Amino acid sequence: MAGKSGRTINATPQNVWRKRILSWEGVLIVILAVVLVLCRAMSATYTLENVLREMPKYLAEMFLMLPMAFILMMGEIDISVGSIVCLSGTLGCFAVNAGMPFPVALLIMLGTGLICGAINGAIIVIFPELPSMIVTLGTQIIFRGIAEIMLGGGGSIAAKNADGFRAIGKSLGIVPIVFFLVIISGAIFVIISTKMKFGRELMAIGSNRLTAFYSGVKVKKVLFISYVTMGAFSALCAIFFTAATYGANTTTGKGFEMDAIAMAVFGGISSTGGKGKMIGGILSAFVIVCLRIGLGQKNVNSQVILLIIGILLIGAVLLPNISARISANKKKAIS
Amino acid sequence: MKKKLLSLLLCATLAAGALAGCGGGGSTTDTGSKSSSESKGGDSGKKQYAIVPKSAGNPYNEKEVEGFKAIIEANGGEAVVNYPQDATADAQITVINSLISQGVDSIAVAANDENALQSVLEDAMSKGIKVSCLDSSVNADSRQTFANQAGVKEVAQALCDAVYDISGGSGDWAILSASSQATNQNAWIEAMKGIMADDSKYADLNLVEVAYGDDETQKSTDQTQALLANYPNLKVICAPTTVGVAAAAKVVQDTGATCRVTGLGLPSEMAEYIGKPDSGKSCPYMFLWNPIDLGKLSAYISLALVDGTITGAAGDTFEAKELGVTYTITEAADGGTEVILGAPFEFNPDNIEEWKTVY
Repeated sequence: MAGKSGRTINATPQNVWRKRILSWEGVLIVILAVVLVLCRAMSATYTLENVLREMPKYLAEMFLMLPMAFILMMGEIDISVGSIVCLSGTLGCFAVNAGMPFPVALLIMLGTGLICGAINGAIIVIFPELPSMIVTLGTQIIFRGIAEIMLGGGGSIAAKNADGFRAIGKSLGIVPIVFFLVIISGAIFVIISTKMKFGRELMAIGSNRLTAFYSGVKVKKVLFISYVTMGAFSALCAIFFTAATYGANTTTGKGFEMDAIAMAVFGGISSTGGKGKMIGGILSAFVIVCLRIGLGQKNVNSQVILLIIGILLIGAVLLPNISARISANKKKAIS
Repeated sequence: MKKKLLSLLLCATLAAGALAGCGGGGSTTDTGSKSSSESKGGDSGKKQYAIVPKSAGNPYNEKEVEGFKAIIEANGGEAVVNYPQDATADAQITVINSLISQGVDSIAVAANDENALQSVLEDAMSKGIKVSCLDSSVNADSRQTFANQAGVKEVAQALCDAVYDISGGSGDWAILSASSQATNQNAWIEAMKGIMADDSKYADLNLVEVAYGDDETQKSTDQTQALLANYPNLKVICAPTTVGVAAAAKVVQDTGATCRVTGLGLPSEMAEYIGKPDSGKSCPYMFLWNPIDLGKLSAYISLALVDGTITGAAGDTFEAKELGVTYTITEAADGGTEVILGAPFEFNPDNIEEWKTVY
């Protein structure tokens, strides 16, 4: 039922299953399968056990992707998350070394993340004329700067008593604990974005902020909550990343923000806002991680791996445009 | 629906193409990976010795890798060279994890952080992989032993002797260091002060100042000019940092001061300043270690660890045939063990031409 504007208006979605399979998320499942089969064929060491063993570091980064997707859906961005990871990890190690019990150190790390996220959110809400890219670029430098000052000349700190971190870095059988947490968090984020009011509000803000505002969406509140969530999950990332390194240094978390954004964008979440699905981001994260692990096991040069990820990313952004143009040309030809 | 189907197909081919492409690309660009896939296929039983440098494109690291590869291959092993994505410990963790999956026999790592690799290296050792470091160490718990390019004592002794020799045994001299927190530089400076205080031979030498150029060319230049202005009788500037020594040598040579420069420098950067005393060049000789030999030493350590000649305990000995030395593992200051390559290598007017093209 095409309306005057050419848009299809359907109260009841038809062919639900067919639509699901042929969506970008369906494509991602196919890509994931292709990646797994090819990596397995290329490398005899690409076993479930080895892949899961190499995964925790990447899983920690996936915590960043989830709230980053929220922020991207609103058409905003946060490039300070890598620095929050660094600051939170640094403070956590200082807390452990000062003899505080491990749960207290975890609370300090989470608190650091919440405060950093709140600072980002507050600046963005109070000064709406400032682009979030610039605000978080500023806080990126500030947060890492604070960590660097604390770390001093050596630029590195090791947790003297790493038992706590060792415990959370453990695996149940061959599956790392963090894997379960990522899946649970992912499920929660999917539910929030698809079934709850908050998710609809995010999309409304990303599609048209002014309309959303006049429709009664509390834009500032949603923005602030998203940035605080981002901060909290940066801390979560820091906790599990520290569980892999037992320490922090001035380069901890460098580039994590770009990894998280890449996962989300490859998952079909538009950086201009209003588009994309959470599940796509999660699937694409696993595609990227499984591909990286596979290529790594074949000793493919790290720079070449980055190149491949970059090509995939641009491909993912271009594909919808190309197919849209093709179908537009077809329509022209018919009429 | 057709367009979706089209995009699905396009995407699948893209992914397949990328993977196929990289498989080919990997084996042509990196000889290490090529031989690795060959040996895997044929299962020739060749032992695999991995080296993880600090980063790709670091010429100093390249020389270490070159030495490492030469010795491993000469001894019938297979060298797996795996560069991290960037010069961070995080990137090295990824690479080492991957090497554990591949089941290599040994890993030698030039660490980007002393502590951050502990978890992954412990994991490697628990799976029977022999772990050692070169160039830049990890903490004592994360390694079996460490190929140290230069013991603090050896470097300090060489520099003290150079200052003594160049100054003629008496007079004012100064140190131009990197930053005031630089671990290496501070250790060397402390050791030099200790050596000079303990031996009456150096009693007539007077250390006037330790200046800090922060390893920046401009700041090191300014500091050198300040030293020359403040101490007109300055005989020697000793700069135990590659940036500092090059900056100081340039200032002294350009101003024609009588002061002379020595220290630790890169031959390629220092070649134009090194010359005989009457040639007007500002640096009679300077030191650095030989990264190729360090790579070779690391290779011998990996070989010896894998074949069981050594366990990494202090007192173990092994022979480094091509270096012509039988090394003994010694206790390191951090509680672990280390193997010291030897005294730093002297670059003088006689050998600088040959070395300046090397690194």
